[in-house]
Amino acid sequence: MPEFSGWLLDLFEDPREGLVLYFIDEAGPRWRLRRPFPVTFYALGEDAQLRTLWQHLSDRPGEITLSRARRMDVFKRDAVTALGITVENPYQARQVFQQTAARFPNLEYADADLHISLRFAAETGAFPLAYCRVAADQDGQLQEIEVLEGAWTLKTLPIPLRTMSLSPDVPPHHARPHRLMVEIEGETYQFDLHTWRALLVNLRALIQRYDPDLLLTDWGDTWLLPRLLQQSEAHHIPLGLNREPGRGVSWREERTYFSYGRIVYRGQQIHLFGRCHIDRQNAVLWNDYALEGTIEVSRVTALPLQTAARVSPGTGISSIEMLTALREGILVPWQKQQAEMLKPAADLFAADQGGLVYQPKIGVHKNVAEIDFVSLYPAIMVHFNISPETILPDPNADNLVPALGLAIDTSQDGLIPKALRPLLEKRIEMKKHLASTPAWDPYRKNFKSRSSALKWLLVTCFGYLGYKNARFGRIEAHQAVTAYGREALLSAKEAAEDFGFEVIQLYVDGLWVRHPDKTQPADIEPLLLEIQARTGLPISLDGIYRWVVFVGSRQNKKRPVANRYFGVFQDGSIKVRGIDARRRDSTPFVAQAQMHLLELLARAEEPEAALPEAIAFLQNRLRALRSGSVKLPDLLVRQQLGRKMEAYRTPSPAARAVLQLNTVGKELHPGQRVPFLYTLGKPGVFAWDLPHKPNPRAVDVARYQRLLLRAAGIVLESWGLDERKLTERVLSDASQLCLPVPPKKHPVQHRRNIPGVIDPAMDRALKGQSQ
Amino acid sequence: MGRTLPSATQLMHQEEAALARFRRALRRGDQLIFDDLFTAAQKHISAAAYAAHALPFETFLMAMLLEEHKQVMRLQKIVEALEEMHA
Amino acid sequence: MDQRIITFPMPTAGKISLVVAPRAVLDRLTSMLAALALRGRVLVVDGGNCFDGYALARALRGQTHEVEAALRQVWLSRAFTCYQMVAMLAELPVDGTPVIVLDMLSTFLDENVNFSKRLRLLESSLNLLRRISQGAPVAIWARARTSSVTAEDQQLLAPLLETARDVWELQAPETPVHQLPLF
Repeated sequence: MPEFSGWLLDLFEDPREGLVLYFIDEAGPRWRLRRPFPVTFYALGEDAQLRTLWQHLSDRPGEITLSRARRMDVFKRDAVTALGITVENPYQARQVFQQTAARFPNLEYADADLHISLRFAAETGAFPLAYCRVAADQDGQLQEIEVLEGAWTLKTLPIPLRTMSLSPDVPPHHARPHRLMVEIEGETYQFDLHTWRALLVNLRALIQRYDPDLLLTDWGDTWLLPRLLQQSEAHHIPLGLNREPGRGVSWREERTYFSYGRIVYRGQQIHLFGRCHIDRQNAVLWNDYALEGTIEVSRVTALPLQTAARVSPGTGISSIEMLTALREGILVPWQKQQAEMLKPAADLFAADQGGLVYQPKIGVHKNVAEIDFVSLYPAIMVHFNISPETILPDPNADNLVPALGLAIDTSQDGLIPKALRPLLEKRIEMKKHLASTPAWDPYRKNFKSRSSALKWLLVTCFGYLGYKNARFGRIEAHQAVTAYGREALLSAKEAAEDFGFEVIQLYVDGLWVRHPDKTQPADIEPLLLEIQARTGLPISLDGIYRWVVFVGSRQNKKRPVANRYFGVFQDGSIKVRGIDARRRDSTPFVAQAQMHLLELLARAEEPEAALPEAIAFLQNRLRALRSGSVKLPDLLVRQQLGRKMEAYRTPSPAARAVLQLNTVGKELHPGQRVPFLYTLGKPGVFAWDLPHKPNPRAVDVARYQRLLLRAAGIVLESWGLDERKLTERVLSDASQLCLPVPPKKHPVQHRRNIPGVIDPAMDRALKGQSQ
Repeated sequence: MGRTLPSATQLMHQEEAALARFRRALRRGDQLIFDDLFTAAQKHISAAAYAAHALPFETFLMAMLLEEHKQVMRLQKIVEALEEMHA
Repeated sequence: MDQRIITFPMPTAGKISLVVAPRAVLDRLTSMLAALALRGRVLVVDGGNCFDGYALARALRGQTHEVEAALRQVWLSRAFTCYQMVAMLAELPVDGTPVIVLDMLSTFLDENVNFSKRLRLLESSLNLLRRISQGAPVAIWARARTSSVTAEDQQLLAPLLETARDVWELQAPETPVHQLPLF
């Protein structure tokens, strides 16, 4: 009877054996275990219909067990009677549910479409990548599982994951790859992508020899694995991508969806069995928190690693809520029915609002302290017990939400606070740890990634409360959170003013304050304690700016914008929001230059002293641009595609780039980014992913110059150099920098060779567009 | 959940638009002053939003008045200082 | 819409009134709502996230000094999915209070729910409204799309046309001819 300690790597339903589980034994071996795992879902509705359903399902003994159950309905705040339908084999459960729902569409269903790993976690406590002690019998039947490290453990043992990474030599949507690079245990192998047989045989040998737990690929979902599978079939050389014998890979379709007002595109996905596959290019927030953050998401959401890598934070939050509900015996509705309460229209004025946002004073402010509430909205939900079931329509109760005419039941913990509390506490602990450890601390990087993963989940949980399809969402709860948020921020403002501070800016969960004599962190401490005492919510000093500049809007620079600023903290670190250096569509050439200017200003004792150097730097960059020594990738603009492309009468540069790609048969989807260069002549852009190479001489130098000087102007304007003055000063050395480009460098006959310019198909497409 | 009601900024634009005929009939110089009043009110847009008044124009008028009075106070101080200098 | 021509009568108990019109009709509906609010309680079900409380307040200001009190007579609930629409109608009090349903069909255009399910939910919604209309005035606004009307739109509109006793179809102001109501 094997008994070992190790990590739960993967689990899935199996048609014959119920549930199959793969483990990493800390002593080295990998185990495949199994156990029966019956799954129960519930039907609710009129008695007569439930009786019919009972009769309908009662002739499948051994397969389906029926029972009458009393379960908690969170929206009704009471237990309800339901028909429990237990399917012996979890593999069949989905099908049984779908057939039932199709046949009895007027019934409501609960606990119907939950991920098997959530059910397993609710029943045993063991979640994916949990470190546990496991016992099984000779047949490989799982007997016992005991979690040794909970999902909320801060310092966890490192998982001895065997990782094989696979990447083509170039991005396949950009150019045709020729080689496949494989890396495992410090060894790198290169395979020729033109000799498939050799590649397949060798790759199979590597997979057999190393038996990796994780395939970490680039474009594995959208390009590499589909090709490997296709060739493997054509050459009759099975690769053994799965560990589980006899199973094909699982494909999920590509999709585009809206999240937080942003449009998101996610490519098709390929999941494996017994082994994990993560495509770094298709994983969520990989650049932000990488594998360690993804493991964290997997652990706290109880979703398998491959799934956790690809779901939005909203789905992650939803999983945490569903897991909490399962543990508490609360029904998870299949379709949310709950509607908004009927309320006087007069209440809508106060309720239908977001966070409190001031219009800052444009310009430089010195010695400003930035104070932020820590995870304000989740903290409010936990502190004030906000949850769909705790909101009461009682304007006369004691515990009223400010200005909403709703009350909160605080007699017991709500579902949402229960789900969020450990998440919030873990994040605060990690932040504390990060703040107090030196840079060389071995846990620092690990904590940073994991803390970032938790931050994304927490940021999303508020929006999710107001999402129309969220199982445990509720408009009133969403409104209550913002109402408390506005009160908290105003209380903080009042406290600051009582302490003699001037309030420079308020923004949803943070405030910027200044006091002539209170310019050190210790001076701010009493204010923090006071705000915490008045609001009951955790707050921290983000830092004290030596100076901070609020800039105007992009359209009208005299109009203040709440969240567009840059500044330098006392320790010399720079904070930037909303300007080119931070925007994801900025060209690296412009963003890096803007950031460098900020660094120059930050380094100087007084920012004014840095101006001559700043001008010299800009002249230098322009010289580099003109002489062609700026690398083309640094000039790429990466604009995200909106929902409707064809709607524009004059197509935007991004739309023109997409049209270019369309003519060579490349399709793009809303939510994807299209990288392109600005070029001379028509259509004025060159899509980077076209099959031919751009002509470096076609680069629209004048346009990049304007972009650079505009971005520089935003930073330097407060010290007297706006875009216009800057242009004069920088270009005063006219002999070197006169623009536009002298015609002899771009003879007319050259234009014909500028790729993407004269292509007749393109031209037609564009003409059709403008009509 | 998308918002149902227009934001305070949108409301201010609506009120400004509702006065477009009035503005058009003003002399050019007065038109600029008219615009100034709305720019001044804009400074208190978040307070107006928080106030959540069913008839927001009343709040906007208050915001204009507030900025007007601020200006009066500022000028009053200057006048006093000048009077002291010449006293 | 030409304001001189189009005024539709106040809904009365015992039948369902239906207006099929583009968004511009909202102003007229707001005036109707204001008139109802001055008489007593009225229920608004908003299926298109389009209830404009400020416009209602302005409409009331012209007729009463007690704007706040009149606003308190208007009770609102918003549906963001077709499931919510049905759930909400099922919870409305059946006590003679007039009901106005704004942009009734929007939530039923959700392609994430299969079409036959949506049709069935729409039927349930209309049954609930029929029951309410026996003792209370009920008016429904179905938003007419200005462009690309699909077969699905027509199929969803059909049960509404069948259920309603009074039907007004109004066209967009851009169309100069045929501005008169069809009935």
